[in-house]
Amino acid sequence: MAISRRNFIKNAAAASAFLALGVAPKAMAAGPGDKVDNWVKGVCRYCGTGCGVMVGVSNGKVITVKGDPNNHNQGILCLKGALLAPVIYAKERVTKPLIRKNGELVEASWDEALDLAASKFKEAIAESDPDSVAYYGSGQALTEETYLASKIFKAGLKSNNVEGNPRLCMASAVGGYVSTFGKDEPMGSYNDLDAATCFFIIGSNTSECHPVLFRRIAARKQNDKNVKIIVCDPRRTNTSRIADLHMSMKPGSDLAILNSMAYVIVNEELDDYRFHNKYVNFMTNDKEKVDFEAYKVFLADYKPEDIEELAGVPAAQIREAAMIFAESSATTSLWCMGINQRIRGVWANNLIHNLHLITGKIGKLGSTPLSLTGQPNACGGVRDTGGLSHLLPAGRLIKKQAHRNQLEEQWGMPKDSLNPKPGLHTMALFQAMNDGKVKVVLTLCTNPAQSLPNVLKYREGLEKCFNVAIEAFSDAISLKYADVVFPPAFWVERTGVFGCTERRYALVEQAIEPPGECRPSVNILIDLALRIGVDPALIPYKNSDDIWDEWRKVSAMTPYNFEGITRERLKKESGIKWPCPTEDHPGTDIRYVRGEDPNIPLDYPDKYHFYGKPDGRAVVWMRPQKPAAEPAGGDYPFTLTTGRVIDHWHTATMTGKVPEIARSFPNAYVEVNTKDAKRMGINHGDNVKLTTRRGDMTFKARVGDVCEPGLVFVPWFDPKLLINELTIDAIDPGSKQPEFKICACQVEKV
Amino acid sequence: MEDQNKCCKNKWVLLVVALLIIFGGSILFYTQTAVSGTKCEAAKHLKSGEEAGDCYTCHLKTTPKIAQDWFESKHGVMLVKCFVCHGLPDGTGSIEYSANPDPNYICRRCHDPAVTMMEKKFGMRAECNDCHKYHSNSVHHDAYSTTESKKKMDQ
Ligand code: SF4
Repeated sequence: MAISRRNFIKNAAAASAFLALGVAPKAMAAGPGDKVDNWVKGVCRYCGTGCGVMVGVSNGKVITVKGDPNNHNQGILCLKGALLAPVIYAKERVTKPLIRKNGELVEASWDEALDLAASKFKEAIAESDPDSVAYYGSGQALTEETYLASKIFKAGLKSNNVEGNPRLCMASAVGGYVSTFGKDEPMGSYNDLDAATCFFIIGSNTSECHPVLFRRIAARKQNDKNVKIIVCDPRRTNTSRIADLHMSMKPGSDLAILNSMAYVIVNEELDDYRFHNKYVNFMTNDKEKVDFEAYKVFLADYKPEDIEELAGVPAAQIREAAMIFAESSATTSLWCMGINQRIRGVWANNLIHNLHLITGKIGKLGSTPLSLTGQPNACGGVRDTGGLSHLLPAGRLIKKQAHRNQLEEQWGMPKDSLNPKPGLHTMALFQAMNDGKVKVVLTLCTNPAQSLPNVLKYREGLEKCFNVAIEAFSDAISLKYADVVFPPAFWVERTGVFGCTERRYALVEQAIEPPGECRPSVNILIDLALRIGVDPALIPYKNSDDIWDEWRKVSAMTPYNFEGITRERLKKESGIKWPCPTEDHPGTDIRYVRGEDPNIPLDYPDKYHFYGKPDGRAVVWMRPQKPAAEPAGGDYPFTLTTGRVIDHWHTATMTGKVPEIARSFPNAYVEVNTKDAKRMGINHGDNVKLTTRRGDMTFKARVGDVCEPGLVFVPWFDPKLLINELTIDAIDPGSKQPEFKICACQVEKV
Repeated sequence: MEDQNKCCKNKWVLLVVALLIIFGGSILFYTQTAVSGTKCEAAKHLKSGEEAGDCYTCHLKTTPKIAQDWFESKHGVMLVKCFVCHGLPDGTGSIEYSANPDPNYICRRCHDPAVTMMEKKFGMRAECNDCHKYHSNSVHHDAYSTTESKKKMDQ
């Protein structure tokens, strides 16, 4: 290759810099000189946006990653996606099975590790009952992995203790969709973002948590300057940079604000009477059916002027937001953990749906309530395939005998042989480990020792319990508690399906061989199950392709229809949105609408049909305001909230391996409002101690106007400064999702 | 005669090599000592190893125009940070450090369709930046004139 003069000088300067600093360029550094042999289609490993990627392979190694032009992201990636390649080659990869001997994890053979793990499962089940074992999975596992693990535990071992980290992030959204519409998952898609004229973003820092969707929203606004963006968030994040209206609410006032917006819409007569009269039931909190007039009476408590103090938002802003919401031609709502991680997260979800149902802004292109999901396969893998303790695949419930019988038939089991008792939800599961009731747990692709709220409380259980982990990175702090570790093939080292926020399922194809003795998790699960003694007829699969085919059949004939999403199609197409009943069906953009949703016959008399409910009507729930479990006040005058930053993802076991990210963002910090900082003499960079009822921890301060006065924020990626030691483990009684987002704290300069 | 020629040739080769070493050495010396102010700042961070990738904080002081242009640009609004395209200044990143990133490798990661279209029309070019300013391709029209960030700027 000819080297131009400019390049020569550039390289010489770079080389001198290395000499001076005594560092050599990393072997993994790929550059313009490297030639890609082939591009393999996949999906980004990180967030629920689910961007399509093309993985560039050279000599059997991934050297670069670019966006898939044919997927919804149209080639665009955010900074994490664009720097994904080095994660695969992290020196911390677990490449051999490990077992704990004399307190240390040491290398072992596959046979030794599998036998040890299997014997512990058998022992626990023999000594007590199947409820003494559990599976704790992840919204990052493949759809096939979750389906298989759920089947092994529920059908093979008769334990319904099948949970996963989506309980910590998506459970309230599931509860919201199911209680309002009767079926889980959004009815709209990302296409709505290109057609909306109003975006109502509440409890979501879209810019940092779903960057490529944020770009799409920004592009929409740039193309049409009349598009309005409302952001409701106690932090003035980067998302608010493109907002026309930022409502800086007090944490915990979300339900009041949403009801207040409904009050304005109804009282200004901006509701769509024709729509809600025909397609909606109004229900009290006690599930009593009432009429629109009763709903109006309920809303009377939420006049903007009456709640502005509670909400911390001027009444005029609430009125303005409601008017923009209702008067725009097409309104899309977006929300995420700010709404879901509340002790009344399901209610908050219901109230967002209410706004769409009373204005009829639903089921039309650009009008939809779209819950953003956090992980690449939480919607897909876990929610749809039934990877939670109360679910069976495709929206079926364990407690319903008819649903169990359907599965027993499909799985070739004797009638009424599935365990009819729902298992323990996540927080109850970890409590049961504390109590010694759950004795053996298998975790897959998740890091609960960092991601649980009030995490120190649950470490006791993690220590007591025999812990079998399938985990790719040796520095995940949960491995401190593992007794057996199996090394999985990571990301593009095996094939499987991810399902993202918009019901789109796309194939992550194997691009390279896994290192060392790593194996695909489905094969690890099958081997382990066989050694525990699960009937081989239940798990007759060679690989994830076989499991996918079974899942398609199990989902067929239900409203969650995947039958037409064949492996062959997934190889060719960059994702397909269910329901998709046949191989020639293009996938569904809008559910519940005749002519769009294949679940509704074309000759159905009405345009809309919320078939998840017995009478085809969605529900407007009358949910009252509820404050946080631990509001600020008294000795703990500040509110502590946590969240993500764009650079890092979840517990940073992956993003921490990317040198660019690790060195630009090595530590967590605490964000303090300028006024509070001035009052307490805190300067940028000072040490600040946060104390909650669960403990204290010291961070460097970042002083600014992102947080409202009275609020502090700490990102949760940093295992060294683990803010989840301070968060609260109060849960939503409906969804059982914890209220990570709000707890009371003290702030002190040290 | 031949020997003498060879000897002469060898001397010349030696001389050229010596000159090259001196020349190279001086360049190295120069790059290590010149512009000491900014160099020191950077070196301090690089040695500490922490936040070497947090270019923006220092560039806001040392090259405020570039930093502000980026902040106002599309890349700034979308938080496409310095290291995404430039790598790490000490070359320890996962992509090669470069002040002028190679479009074929760097830009294509997100703008493959656009680069491919331009390549078809005009052949592969080295400098997308000549027309599409990486740092100042602002979010144009007056789409954002009423937004929070503009209101703040105008205050
Ligand atoms: S937005 Fe999410 S899915 Fe897309 S590239 Fe970034 S991290 Fe990956």
